[in-house]
Amino acid sequence: MKIEILEKEGEDKLSFVVRGISPQFANSIRRAMIAEVPVMAIDDVYIIENTSVMYDEVLAHRLGLIPLKTDLDSYVLPEECECKSETGCSRCSAILVLDVEGTGEGVTTVYSGDLKPHESNPDVKPVSDKIPIVKLAPGQRIRLEAYARLGTGKKHAKWSPVTRCVYKYYPVVEVDESRCDGCGICVDVCHRDVFEVRDGKAYVKNQLRCDLCGECVSRCPHDALKAEWEKNSLIFFVETTGALPAWRVVVEAFRVLAKKCEIFLSQLGELGVV
Amino acid sequence: MGIVPVRCFTCGSVIGDKWEEFKRRVKAGEDPEKVLDDLGVKRYCCRSMLISHVEVIDDILEYFVVKGRVKRE
Ligand SMILES: [Zn+2]
Ligand SMILES: [Zn+2]
Repeated sequence: MKIEILEKEGEDKLSFVVRGISPQFANSIRRAMIAEVPVMAIDDVYIIENTSVMYDEVLAHRLGLIPLKTDLDSYVLPEECECKSETGCSRCSAILVLDVEGTGEGVTTVYSGDLKPHESNPDVKPVSDKIPIVKLAPGQRIRLEAYARLGTGKKHAKWSPVTRCVYKYYPVVEVDESRCDGCGICVDVCHRDVFEVRDGKAYVKNQLRCDLCGECVSRCPHDALKAEWEKNSLIFFVETTGALPAWRVVVEAFRVLAKKCEIFLSQLGELGVV
Repeated sequence: MGIVPVRCFTCGSVIGDKWEEFKRRVKAGEDPEKVLDDLGVKRYCCRSMLISHVEVIDDILEYFVVKGRVKRE
C-alpha cells in the first residue's frame, strides 16, 4: 500500500491517494473514521435555571452539537474508565459551565464562547467561539452545568469526528488525439471542469476532479474519450469538525481496526484455532 | 425555536458561527454567493442551510423586549 497526500487545507481538511487498496478495506477505514473514532461532546446537561424561550431539551441538544477540542491522550471512554461512576471522573469527563443573563434593553446572543470550561479541564472548549446557542431578552437567564465525554459516532452523530468523509476511484481520463477534432462538446457536458480545448484539441486539465459519470464518453461524436479508473487506487477526502486534526482521525481509524483484529485473533486463540 | 442550526443537517459541518457574518454582509448588499465562498462554505448542503434560514427567535423575543419596556414605563 502506498499513500500520497494530495491536499492539506489547514488542520481540518485532508485528501490523499491510496494505491494498492481494495474498496472493501477502504470502506472499513471510512466507517471507522465516521463511527468509531472517539471525540468529546456534551452528553449530560444539568439545567439549574432556564427562563429563555428555548426548551431545556432543545438547549441541551444544541450544546451537544457544538464540537469540542478533543485530547485523546488524556481522556478515556467512560465505559473503559476504571472509575465506573455515573457522573465520571477527571479521566473520563469534563465540565463546562454556562451562566448568562440578558442585559440592557435589547436581545443578548449567547455564544459557544460563553460556555466556560471548568478550571480542572481548561482545554476542553468549543472549536469555535461564535456559534449562537440561544438569544435572551432582558432579564432572561440560563445557568447550567454540562458534562462532556468521549463517545463514538455509532451512538450519536455529535460524537463523529468527521463531516465529509468519502473516497472515490482514482480517475484516468484520456483523449485520443488522432480522433479528437476539438469540437468542445466534452468541455460543455463535463460538470467537473475536467477538459479544456487548446489549439483545436481537447486536453485533460483536472483529471482528479473527474467523478467518472461517463457523460463525456457517451456524448463525444468522435469516440475519442476514455474515462476509467485505476484498479485498487482510491482518493480519500476527510474533513473534520475541528475536534481533532484530520490526520489524527485517519491514524485513530487504523488503530481502531488494528485493535479489532487483535481481539478477533485472541478469540481465535482461545478457541484453539491459531 | 427558529434559531440558526449549529450544524449542517446533511454533512454535520458547523455553520452556526457563520450565520451572523453572512446575514450582515448580505443585508449590506453583497452577493450571497460571494459571501458563502468567502466564508468557506463550499458544499451546497451547507450553503442551503444559510441561504434558507429565517431567524424566527428574533420575532418571538421582540414580544419579551416590548413587554419589559412596557413594564418599566
Ligand atoms: Zn472515570
Ligand atoms: Zn453540509
